[in-house]
Amino acid sequence: MRASFSYLGRGSWLARRDPRVLLLVGLLFVIAVTQLRDWRHLGVALVIAVGYYALADIPWRRVRVQWLYLLIVVGVVATLNALITGGRAGNFADGPTQVLLTIPPFGAELTAEGISLGVTQLIRFGAIAAVGFPIAFAIAPGDLAVALRRLGIGDRFAFMVDLTVRFVPTIADEFSETVNAQRVRGYDPTARVGGPITRLRRATPVLVPVVIGSIAGAEDTIDAMDLRGFGVGRRSWYRHLAFGRRDWLVIGLTVALLFVSTWLNVTGQTDHRLLPFFT
Amino acid sequence: MTAATMDRDEGTWSITTRVIVYAAIGAALYAVANWTTFAIQIPGTENVSVRPQYGLVTFFGYAFGPVVGFLTGFVGNVVGDQLTGWGAFTSWPWSVANGAAGLLAGLFATMWARREGTSGIIVAAAIVGVAATILGFLFIFIELVTQPELGFNAILTTEYIPTVIANSIAAAIVTPILVLAWEPLREQLGR
Repeated sequence: MRASFSYLGRGSWLARRDPRVLLLVGLLFVIAVTQLRDWRHLGVALVIAVGYYALADIPWRRVRVQWLYLLIVVGVVATLNALITGGRAGNFADGPTQVLLTIPPFGAELTAEGISLGVTQLIRFGAIAAVGFPIAFAIAPGDLAVALRRLGIGDRFAFMVDLTVRFVPTIADEFSETVNAQRVRGYDPTARVGGPITRLRRATPVLVPVVIGSIAGAEDTIDAMDLRGFGVGRRSWYRHLAFGRRDWLVIGLTVALLFVSTWLNVTGQTDHRLLPFFT
Repeated sequence: MTAATMDRDEGTWSITTRVIVYAAIGAALYAVANWTTFAIQIPGTENVSVRPQYGLVTFFGYAFGPVVGFLTGFVGNVVGDQLTGWGAFTSWPWSVANGAAGLLAGLFATMWARREGTSGIIVAAAIVGVAATILGFLFIFIELVTQPELGFNAILTTEYIPTVIANSIAAAIVTPILVLAWEPLREQLGR
């Protein structure tokens, strides 16, 4: 088992951007699409997001499982939501509904409004994911902390994120070694017998030694940091970041998208709509 | 023997070197554990599968205070999402909810987790873990705003209740086990 951050977008146009750009775009884009309810507006946002995603040049075969999982999760949630609410949510909450199908035994109603809301939700989440994936795959792992720091997050929090990223491979190795050590003693981590509580108890021979071992080992790190005077003054970072013209351009376009979304929301022009074949 | 939070002398909300390092370890443990079980989660049920690693969030909150608890849950979930490829912001309400649960576990432990004896610690850790989970995950109702297509009942029945049940089971069992394992080491370290 080797846990490491997959820098799949290495060398792509987005990966060459200042890492703060990817974080800011992700944040601003989420705020923007959260304000949109009209599926046509979200469709435009999805097209923009897919275009942005393409700039990260992430190999499809390496992420198709994530995309498939995401579509299944959101699809199932949207379907359940459509059945549970009967389409009476969002801007359709107080209006009449077009019942297409009544499903026994509880009489759940599949309505045109429910399907429209589900598709709207799917489009929004797809757009957010398309902008989110480059954050995972097109930022060099070592740049994450310094990017957070330069975005105004405190030194200590940024350093904590940096430390977390650095601990990940070590802890993954410890998990792997502990599983192997317990296997020698007859432990079977892949056993699927028993209920949830049995399975939880079966996790403890791995979880407890790794957690307690990591905490005990942390004392060395704490001592090393204290001896070097961590936290007594302003921290400097080895990696320096600077926005270029293209970085400003991307941020400017995202701010424009946020502005338009906010305007549509504030002026009430982005309410939920039925899909065209239901109108 | 008590299960006091270790940095109480330095203040519950102090961000010391110790807090930073323990939070980083908690977050890394949670992220790696989330990553390793990513493949066996049940598709379409949004965290409904019981995840033993969730007990890490409530344990770190209980043992090391609310700041460590929050950072373990929040950063651990974010970094786990980065590892699995979702990206930091894709499911941010869930990251905040995890952080809130850790924070509340730390707060509850600070308020009333001074229990004597093994059984007292087990009960206190389990109750703190479950209470923190039930309250912390209320944050996912923010999806009423971020995903206005979702109805209250839909979030309640498809997300909140299944998640809280699964995570409460994990918290009630794993938190006391880890607290009991940590106690001797805590005393040995003089925390």
